[in-house]
Amino acid sequence: MVRTRCILAGVAALCATLLWASSAGAQELVNITEAGFSPNTPGMPTNAFGSATITSTTGPVPSPIRHVNVYGPAGVTLDLQGTGVCSEAVLIQSGPQGCPANSRAGFGGGEGIYMLGKELVEEKYTLDFFLSDNRPGHTKLVIFLSGSTPVIVEIVLTGTVVAGPPPYGLGFSVDVPPIKVLPEASNASAKTAFLTLGAHNVHYYRTIHGKRKLFHVKGIVLPKSCPRSGWPVASQFTFEDGSTVMAKRTIPCHRR
Amino acid sequence: MSGALRPPASLPSALLALLALAVFCAAVPGAAAAAPSAVIRPSFAPDSPGARTSFAFAYTLRDPEGEGEVPSPLRTMQVRLPAGLGIDLRGAAGCAPARLRSGGPAACPASSLLGRGHAQLEVHAGSQSIPEDAVVSAVRIPDRAGHPALAIFGRGDTPLQEQTISTATLLADKAPYGARLAVSIPPIPTLVLEPDASIISFSLTLGGVRPHAAGAFTVPRRCPPAGFPFAAEFGFADGSRTTATARVRCPGHA
Repeated sequence: MVRTRCILAGVAALCATLLWASSAGAQELVNITEAGFSPNTPGMPTNAFGSATITSTTGPVPSPIRHVNVYGPAGVTLDLQGTGVCSEAVLIQSGPQGCPANSRAGFGGGEGIYMLGKELVEEKYTLDFFLSDNRPGHTKLVIFLSGSTPVIVEIVLTGTVVAGPPPYGLGFSVDVPPIKVLPEASNASAKTAFLTLGAHNVHYYRTIHGKRKLFHVKGIVLPKSCPRSGWPVASQFTFEDGSTVMAKRTIPCHRR
Repeated sequence: MSGALRPPASLPSALLALLALAVFCAAVPGAAAAAPSAVIRPSFAPDSPGARTSFAFAYTLRDPEGEGEVPSPLRTMQVRLPAGLGIDLRGAAGCAPARLRSGGPAACPASSLLGRGHAQLEVHAGSQSIPEDAVVSAVRIPDRAGHPALAIFGRGDTPLQEQTISTATLLADKAPYGARLAVSIPPIPTLVLEPDASIISFSLTLGGVRPHAAGAFTVPRRCPPAGFPFAAEFGFADGSRTTATARVRCPGHA
């Protein structure tokens, strides 16, 4: 298996609405342009979504992302009954079309950037998230990143569902290896990213006792109560230059 | 945690790299938004002149980029119907749009149901084009600005459970057409931050030969030598437009 580099800021976009942070040594700025839960109803299945821009104070190309942790609010649960799984091997061999429909966990995309000589090259990419393990407590993801213009890039990543530190709850963690789309190009970075995870309105047919029944996959389920200040979420980007950006945010609660 | 470069399906990696380099080096021409192509398929059953009939109307839309691509979402449609086509909606009860929205066609009077059909939709999410089948019902709703109106209720269950209501108004048209159905199609949301769904194919059968069928459709009494003319104009979310025409052969013509 060839290890390569990847742009995966999209996963971090899950966590917050507006983030602007840089550590002492870091020159990267993360601006979450949109984030939330849809629907935003306590106790209900939801889609978590977000979009972000990543910039650098030192130039047009931010440092490549090497690791992302994303944390949702405490009390978020996963109900993966009715889901399927897709192995990393299948995704590598066959692409997203090879994965069962009920293993889909989310979608995303964005715009990457890299240097080729003195020229800046921008490339749009997409993200397809699948469950590779849907057992409670062992949940894992496989992520298909692809771009087609100007250079074809197809990369499979893996992520692990983790428990975040208080006041956060479930989240996920993704190591992002370097990605070099051409041998002479710089490692690719992410300029923008967007992501939607979850399955609040996803239904599949299942055969139960010989009868075909429509089954609702719940996926991400919001906590039954929402703190007065909103649901805390966070993401932590580690960049190739060694800097780390920890961004925190609260998503307002839906009040009836 | 691993990052795996997916091997190309059939090309050797060196060839793929060359291809990628060639694509990269080539200038990308600025492409104007081309309209999807459309095909319409109207039909009468039975097709005897003057007979009460079931009128079926179907269309398919294809992205100009070809197979695997999703056309821009449809927003408007004008269906032009042949002169002489009899459309009598007086026997159909009206259903309040709010009632239709909250409870679907089942919440409406049975006599408001004008017809049924199905549609196939597609959404581009991530790197994938995902199909979704929907059941379609045409329901009589109160007149709009003095013109007969109907709602086209669509509901898809898997993978996304979504419903949408398009509204259609029946208007007079000029020869060789007799009437046109002006249809407004709302955006069909899928996932947050992902594109709206696009209709790929659609078919609807209105009326029927049963005496108690809501709405009465009758085949024109006179058939032009080239057949009954139909046309449709489609307007898409990206601003592009396309048209399609078709003729239904006269009864007895091979």
